Amino acid sequence: MTVDMSVSVGGLRLRGPVLAASGTFGYGTEVPLLERRALGGMVSKGIFLRPRAGTPPPRIVETPSGMLNAIGLQGPGADALIREYAPLWASWDFPVLVNINGESVGEYGELTSRLDGVPGVAGFEINISCPNVEQGGMYFGNDPHAAAAVTEAVRKRTRLPVWVKLTPMVSDIGVIARAVEAAGADALCAVNTFVGMSIDLNAHQPRLSFRTGGLSGPAIRPLAVHLAHQAARSVRIPVLGVGGIMRAEDALEFLVAGCTAVQVGTATFVNPRAIADIHDGIKAHLETHGFSSVADLPRYLPRD
Amino acid sequence: MFLLNAPIVATREVAPGMAVVSMEAPEIAASVRAGQFVNLGIAGPFLRRPFSVYRVDGESIEVVLKAVGVGTAELLGMRPGDLVSCLGPLGRGFDLEAGPRSAVLVSGGLGVAPMPLAAREARALGMRVTWVHGARSARELCSEAEGEEVIFATDDGSRGFAGTAVAAAPDGELVLACGPNRMLAAVAERWPEARVAVETYMGCGTGVCLGCAVPLKAGGYDRACKEGPVYRAAAVDWASLPSHLPYAVTA
Ligand SMILES: Cc1cc2nc3c(=O)[nH]c(=O)nc-3n(C[C@H](O)[C@H](O)[C@H](O)COP(=O)(O)OP(=O)(O)OC[C@H]3O[C@@H](n4cnc5c(N)ncnc54)[C@H](O)[C@@H]3O)c2cc1C
Ligand SMILES: Cc1cc2nc3c(=O)[nH]c(=O)nc-3n(C[C@H](O)[C@H](O)[C@H](O)COP(=O)(O)O)c2cc1C
Ligand code: FES
Repeated sequence: MTVDMSVSVGGLRLRGPVLAASGTFGYGTEVPLLERRALGGMVSKGIFLRPRAGTPPPRIVETPSGMLNAIGLQGPGADALIREYAPLWASWDFPVLVNINGESVGEYGELTSRLDGVPGVAGFEINISCPNVEQGGMYFGNDPHAAAAVTEAVRKRTRLPVWVKLTPMVSDIGVIARAVEAAGADALCAVNTFVGMSIDLNAHQPRLSFRTGGLSGPAIRPLAVHLAHQAARSVRIPVLGVGGIMRAEDALEFLVAGCTAVQVGTATFVNPRAIADIHDGIKAHLETHGFSSVADLPRYLPRD
Repeated sequence: MFLLNAPIVATREVAPGMAVVSMEAPEIAASVRAGQFVNLGIAGPFLRRPFSVYRVDGESIEVVLKAVGVGTAELLGMRPGDLVSCLGPLGRGFDLEAGPRSAVLVSGGLGVAPMPLAAREARALGMRVTWVHGARSARELCSEAEGEEVIFATDDGSRGFAGTAVAAAPDGELVLACGPNRMLAAVAERWPEARVAVETYMGCGTGVCLGCAVPLKAGGYDRACKEGPVYRAAAVDWASLPSHLPYAVTA
């Protein structure tokens, strides 16, 4: 039996349900062990309109079953992205969405206008959930009005797919999910990293120069599955599950919990072949259980 | 870049608590250059752990380490035949080219790691190699060294020069150094053109996470795992590079 691994999510038809998460795959140009056949799509490293230096080291620290990062959205800015990376993406056989960031609603809008229509840019993932910037970032993801305003600003400036990446640092993710759905999002990505802190007991101070960082990896998986499930229950648009996926079983948990596709981040650092392994494992599970497509997998999604 | 399940071949002690572990990794052995590293996946710690390639012996590569935490302890406890996930070769090494007639290799503590390969490459390019190796005391000096001339330096004066390896070193046309970041800062003062191998935390080791930021004198950061780990000493903003990692491996 052949299993149909393709999925339709937020305005895109993808050949597989596994995408590379923003910030863990660079711009897709430095992944020599990548098996493209297994990659449904890629979200590029978060970008601002203008170049950003990022935070001073140390930027990462290992934690039980995960890691904290405070990269500070280091990046070359929109012009360099358009010049150096988009032309490469245009020739690739999987879509690349750009993870966009701004310090104000206006800046998100301007960045969208700049990137819209550039060959190679297949869509936008709005980052309203970065914990590692002083201005913008998570602030927009915490407040339903701000989240909706950013989504609307981007929506007005493009007909490409618009996905919104949600922060887990909220008391009710459903409120934010509904607000951005109403503002015109085509899909939601749940979730970004959790804010965490780790202390160096020799220096008696935080290990990260930014003091706090975003927690990722298996440490957050059950929290992320729950939040993705809550988001999926709250909206009609598809949800991509993100957070701590290391193996196919983890991805399947998100799918059964109501997600249409998944993104894999930190796992790639540990196993550069993680995406292919996860893709193949999902396929094997579907075969074993006699499902003919990813869409056929039962979803546990009671509506309120 | 290769990803291999490398069987451990042997482990030998080169100082109390300091050992060389060799593993069979033919593709990496055939292509690695001095100063490059491998990122090892070990049962226990969550992330991989970066190690310089110490020597190449046929189809095997060697790394040298001390137990400073879970990953290094795990690696030192492995038996011949046990498998390590080995990703590499990674980063830009010393990139030696013919030209200079003499090379001075300066290492502190576990900074010996990239030096045997560097000594071989330098000699193959016709350079006369002087290796200056420093440690806290005679006991902690690595028992293996290569080169036409070997100079030891100890902080407590128990062997060789009493003082740092940097102070003990003669001048050379080409200077290569590896050791704690604060030692490398001293190298930068004396030889701005020296090529030094720095150490940072690493997430991926392959250039995608931006976790291994090295602050540059010219402003901004680049990646120790990609543009580095070897830098021109004067290019690094030593004041902003953390000199005391929580694991004091090379101190
Ligand atoms: C390019 C390069 C080459 C190196 N070559 C050598 C070598 O040849 N020989 C050698 O002995 N060492 C080398 N090191 C250092 C070596 O990688 C560390 O000693 C090793 O990672 C320690 O791991 P551990 O599990 O034993 O210690 P841990 O128990 O992990 O270390 C103690 C502390 O350090 C933190 N930590 C360790 N690794 C990381 C990480 N990647 N990110 C964030 N936090 C971390 C832990 O959280 C913990 O608090 C090199 C490092 C680099 C960057
Ligand atoms: C080093 C690093 C950098 C990241 N950068 C971004 C980013 O630029 N934009 C973004 O939306 N998410 C970013 N993330 C979050 C991931 O995309 C993902 O949401 C999160 O890590 C949880 O998934 P994981 O556990 O599979 O890594 C980053 C994560 C890591 C570890
Ligand atoms: S360790 Fe990830 S970019 Fe260098």
